[in-house]
Amino acid sequence: MLVLRPVELTDLPQLQQLARDSLLGVTSLPDDTERLRSRIVDSCASFEKDVEEHGPENYFFVLEDLTARRLVGCSEILATAGFNEPFYSLRNRHFTSASRELNIEHGVPALSLCQDLNGHTLLRGFHIDAPLVRTAFSQLLSRARLLFIAAHSQRFAEAVITEIVGYSSDDGQSPFWDALGKHFFDLPYAEAERLCGLQARTFLAELMPQYPIYVPMLPQAAQECIGRIHPDGQEAFDILEREGFETNSYIDLFDGGPTLYARTSNVLSIAQSVTGTVQTGSSIDARGRYLVSNDALRGYRAIVAELDYQAGQPVGLSADMCIALNVTDGSPIRLIAL
Amino acid sequence: MIVRPVSVTDLPALMDLVQQAGPGFTTLPANEERLAHRVRWAQRTFAEQVERADADYLFVLEDDDQHVVGISALAGAVGLRDPWYNYRVGLTVSASPDLGIERQIPTLFLNNEMTGQSQLCSLFLRHDQRQGTNGRLLSLARLLFVAEFPQLFGDKLIAELRGSADEQGCSPFWDSLGRHFFKMEFSYADHLSGLGSKSFIAELMPRQPLYTCLLTEQAQAVIGKAHPNTEPAMKILNAEGFAHKGYIDIFDAGPVIEAPVSKIRTVRDSQALVLAIGTPDEQAPVWLIYNRRLENCRITAAQARMVGNSLVVDRLTAKRLQLQPGNSVRAVPLLNQQRQTVAA
Repeated sequence: MLVLRPVELTDLPQLQQLARDSLLGVTSLPDDTERLRSRIVDSCASFEKDVEEHGPENYFFVLEDLTARRLVGCSEILATAGFNEPFYSLRNRHFTSASRELNIEHGVPALSLCQDLNGHTLLRGFHIDAPLVRTAFSQLLSRARLLFIAAHSQRFAEAVITEIVGYSSDDGQSPFWDALGKHFFDLPYAEAERLCGLQARTFLAELMPQYPIYVPMLPQAAQECIGRIHPDGQEAFDILEREGFETNSYIDLFDGGPTLYARTSNVLSIAQSVTGTVQTGSSIDARGRYLVSNDALRGYRAIVAELDYQAGQPVGLSADMCIALNVTDGSPIRLIAL
Repeated sequence: MIVRPVSVTDLPALMDLVQQAGPGFTTLPANEERLAHRVRWAQRTFAEQVERADADYLFVLEDDDQHVVGISALAGAVGLRDPWYNYRVGLTVSASPDLGIERQIPTLFLNNEMTGQSQLCSLFLRHDQRQGTNGRLLSLARLLFVAEFPQLFGDKLIAELRGSADEQGCSPFWDSLGRHFFKMEFSYADHLSGLGSKSFIAELMPRQPLYTCLLTEQAQAVIGKAHPNTEPAMKILNAEGFAHKGYIDIFDAGPVIEAPVSKIRTVRDSQALVLAIGTPDEQAPVWLIYNRRLENCRITAAQARMVGNSLVVDRLTAKRLQLQPGNSVRAVPLLNQQRQTVAA
């Protein structure tokens, strides 16, 4: 059984292995022991903290194989993007070029550095072991965060965003970076992403062009990277798109990857998940697969389960499920169909 | 040869000249109606009937047989009627000592800083007359005119030199920048610009500074580079103290060269002298000599000898200037003598 739970300090060695395997561009997962340790400490403190209004909290989850006692994935929620340091993006908007006298009017897309996404809740740090990609467990790893937000809505903003890793080639070259960031940094893409993970993101963003970048002036290969997803980022994108997230005019300033956005209250797993109570002991005539969470905070757990769920009825769980979720008869739970 | 204000009777000769100059000569399009309008306007300018903002001093170079062989112009002020745009090549520094990053990125800033300055423009000399002192006379006559009437002009004179373009008239700078905002060929934009639509066109350009590192390498390479055809004209003005201070044309990135009026060699070194008729000796230097009149302006280049406060010229020169002995002239040696000494 795989269960999603908050990270603990003892997870550090395994977490670092995950970080090492994670996709270049998932900058929230630096392969750096001290950085990871402090991320874990921050996360533990966030789960402990009484929160009335969302602030700098970071909720870090891991996906654990209970049988093998091994971590197979991780994901995070940053309660407020841009709380401690500005959250920079590039906004892709049309600049209208018009002359009445010449009867000319057309739009030229331009990328402008902005902090428009400050204040939104940010989903990040999504990584799952390769064998589990495109399984129910990658859904669990991503969407259990949404169930957590549903259960603790006062801890989060009214909008949720996430940045999907943009295109880079197998040898770590990003045409978008090469056409833009490189001019301002004189660093290879991989090195910039590494520095970014080491919390130099603000430093780097401050070196980024403050004036608009007119898209037609970029080389074709770079233009094609605007909003383009890295093949390994596609699943993260697909899961959230089905949740109702949409791309908008914001892209990542390093690799051009798209930003997904949703009103928190409109997210499928938040709007349509239902709460119920646990019933133990009865046999389960499974009719469907669900994501199930225990709605707890520090003891938050979520699993994938085959259930015989009927609206308004207590939810029958097996003993294994109850152990994984750390619930007993009558405990409140939350679920949504896979 | 003399330089004098254009007259309506010059129109047929001007059309011939402009046709020879070709489409690159955008400020004087081969369009009879527009040309006639400009000539009439120039006449009003010399008659002091227009404000400085509209002043267009159009001069012709005429040989002794009264054939017009060249043309040059001086605008009283740019940008006082329509906005006048240039890019200034500035610098953006992207630096983070902690990260060991230090980048210097030339950046183009759109500006109207030349507003109110006077402009040298529309210079063309017939191909078969590009010899001797003709080019220098045609160009520098304007500076001597400014020396005589500084109150009619701005603090600075500027000249926009044509930028680099290939044989088809395509400008790499335009292709990398302007084209994206206009969706038209450079030659057409240039044509519109010549028809006086330059400020309309400029309004299509982005207002925000532009990082040159995002231009093509070819475009970056031509920033501030004059078209080889303009080199003779540029050399003449450089010797007068004109310099490129980082301003460029917004379409083809050709350099804008400029000089404060008071620092221009011809203005600074010219002096009022009394005309005398005699025989300048064989080695006498060539002087640029002006009869100091506005409407009946006549400027020529001739050998002359300065004696006290007199300038001795031959009879023909006086006749060309329509002057009598004892009349006052403004004169300056045609060549910068200091430079000659250095060169020798």
